[in-house]
Amino acid sequence: MEFSQEDSIKLYVNLGRTRAFDQAAVRWMAEGKLLSFYHPAFGGEAPGVGGTTFLRKDDVIYPHHRGHGLPHLIGKGADPKIYMAEHCGRAQGAAHGLGGVHSEYPELGIYGGGGTIGSCFPVSVGWGVAARKNGRGQVVVCFFGDGGSNRGTFHEAANMAAVWKLPVIWVCENNGLAQYVPIESAYPLKDLVSLAPGYDMPGVVVDGQDVFAVAEAVMTAVDKAREGFGPSFIECKTARFGSHGVGNPDSVHGQPRDPSEIENLKCKDPILICRERLLEQGILTPEDVERIDQEMKEEIAETEQFINACPFPDDPSILDRALYAD
Amino acid sequence: MRELLYGQAINEALAEEMTRDEKVFLIGEGVQTGTFGTTTGLVNRFGPERIMDTPLSETAIAGVAVGASMMGYRPVADLMFADFMYVCADEIFLKAAQWRLIQGGTQQLPCVFMANVGGYRKLGNEHSRCPSSLVMHHPGLKLAMPSNPYDAKGLLKSAIRDNNPVVYLFHKGLLALQGEVPEEDYTVPFGVADVKREGTDVTVVATSFMVFWALAAAEGLKDKVSVEVIDPRTLEPLDLETIIRSLSKTNRLVIVDEDTSRCGFAAELIALVNEHAFDELDAPIQRVCSANYPIPGGIMEKFVLPQPEQIFAAIDKVIA
Repeated sequence: MEFSQEDSIKLYVNLGRTRAFDQAAVRWMAEGKLLSFYHPAFGGEAPGVGGTTFLRKDDVIYPHHRGHGLPHLIGKGADPKIYMAEHCGRAQGAAHGLGGVHSEYPELGIYGGGGTIGSCFPVSVGWGVAARKNGRGQVVVCFFGDGGSNRGTFHEAANMAAVWKLPVIWVCENNGLAQYVPIESAYPLKDLVSLAPGYDMPGVVVDGQDVFAVAEAVMTAVDKAREGFGPSFIECKTARFGSHGVGNPDSVHGQPRDPSEIENLKCKDPILICRERLLEQGILTPEDVERIDQEMKEEIAETEQFINACPFPDDPSILDRALYAD
Repeated sequence: MRELLYGQAINEALAEEMTRDEKVFLIGEGVQTGTFGTTTGLVNRFGPERIMDTPLSETAIAGVAVGASMMGYRPVADLMFADFMYVCADEIFLKAAQWRLIQGGTQQLPCVFMANVGGYRKLGNEHSRCPSSLVMHHPGLKLAMPSNPYDAKGLLKSAIRDNNPVVYLFHKGLLALQGEVPEEDYTVPFGVADVKREGTDVTVVATSFMVFWALAAAEGLKDKVSVEVIDPRTLEPLDLETIIRSLSKTNRLVIVDEDTSRCGFAAELIALVNEHAFDELDAPIQRVCSANYPIPGGIMEKFVLPQPEQIFAAIDKVIA
């Protein structure tokens, strides 16, 4: 896959914006502005960004729960403002303060998501059925983690999508940890892509810290799916720099994670890898990098102002309007 | 008027709605064959792309209904037995029921989950339940339970045209019940109870197959007691008004529902009558439901499932 200069910069900016919003979300949670909980994507930004940035507007995605889908939403072109306002429980949030997380952008093929890990699979098959019935070449890209792949729902959905050759791409963001349980204790083989041959679908392992590698693998699968060749499985080997969620212990099997292991993971920071590559290729200059950083800071500041100006919802009648459609 | 069997009425409703709206499709394991005749033959008219036979995967079947409905389709997921809702509980109770509200109330999920309910066939605990309260306990879903061929067709047509997820539970004991079904297009609206028999002494609210027995009991008692039989037809939305209007005449209430007694529809209706019409009551409300056990296999099921003599006993008790 050839990446134009513009494409390359887009990937870099989307990675950076994801990190910036993630950091802001953690800060807002500490300040009490962000309600409920938060699960940052730190270290695992590239699969979501690489897997969505070059999709069509009418392609459908199921965002992964790391960063509450920020990498995927940003990659798909959604404005995170109303999403973060929703996290902060405001009336102008994407779901008017009813959702909390997992918000919709239906015009971008983002219908939301659920809280039960692994429930992404059956619904994605439904979107795949609709996409095929529509006959417009739409694809569905479902993002999930190594933990999600342990659910039985994966089997039912992967099987059905494969039998019907649906345009669904399964993108596994394997960061090696399902909350506190390492993948070695949860799956008997080294690579989760080993699941793919059982459903007669192509599967590849990619370096999930290299956003270009992810984009290339996903878009190759997308092209196949658009042409009617059915689903693919892409395993992105990625990382989780911090704990599962804000405030959770960063433990594995009850023991703190080895700090040197985390330092090693941080040597493969997807944003730094992308930046170095673009600087090396002369696509970005250090001045560009600084300007992009500045723009991201401004976007976060604008978002914070927007949130602060949004009232909290206080009209319970919206519950009735939202419960049932006319 | 022309007469059809309950199962045929369901089949005809599906065929008519699929003809009427190309966004309607049917999905389920073996629907091209049709376990109960309710979907038999449809594949010959509408083809395998709209009558979709699936692997044995209730979770994925329900997921297809949920997902495709968000994208403008009107899927009908045939789960065969209502007991199998437990297999795809996430998709029905957390996703279909709640997605719209949680996403801010802009999306529509016009899908139907259809399945048979009920015991009296000695099929044991996992093929005999009538889990109406499970559905009612999840706001966001609607629940239709037809008791005769006319309602079976009219309610299913309403369910498919509804812009919300609907659970449509038909009773396996009624499949061969014959009744009048008009040839012309009609629907049975949701939230409108039907007074199946007028009476002045006792109101019996019955659901699904229990309506058949309640009507038989009313007929058997007609020389002694005047029994009014009300079928809510949809439990969500529930037409409480018609029930209370009847109570203001009879002042006595018996509820007959096949679901497990504890926390069931009958318990809910008792609470609602307490809240809204306590002063109308001249006697404590009686309920006839499944006893609080799993439904056993074989002949032992008769000790758990509601029996006709219990309906007579309950009526006796409220008029005593």
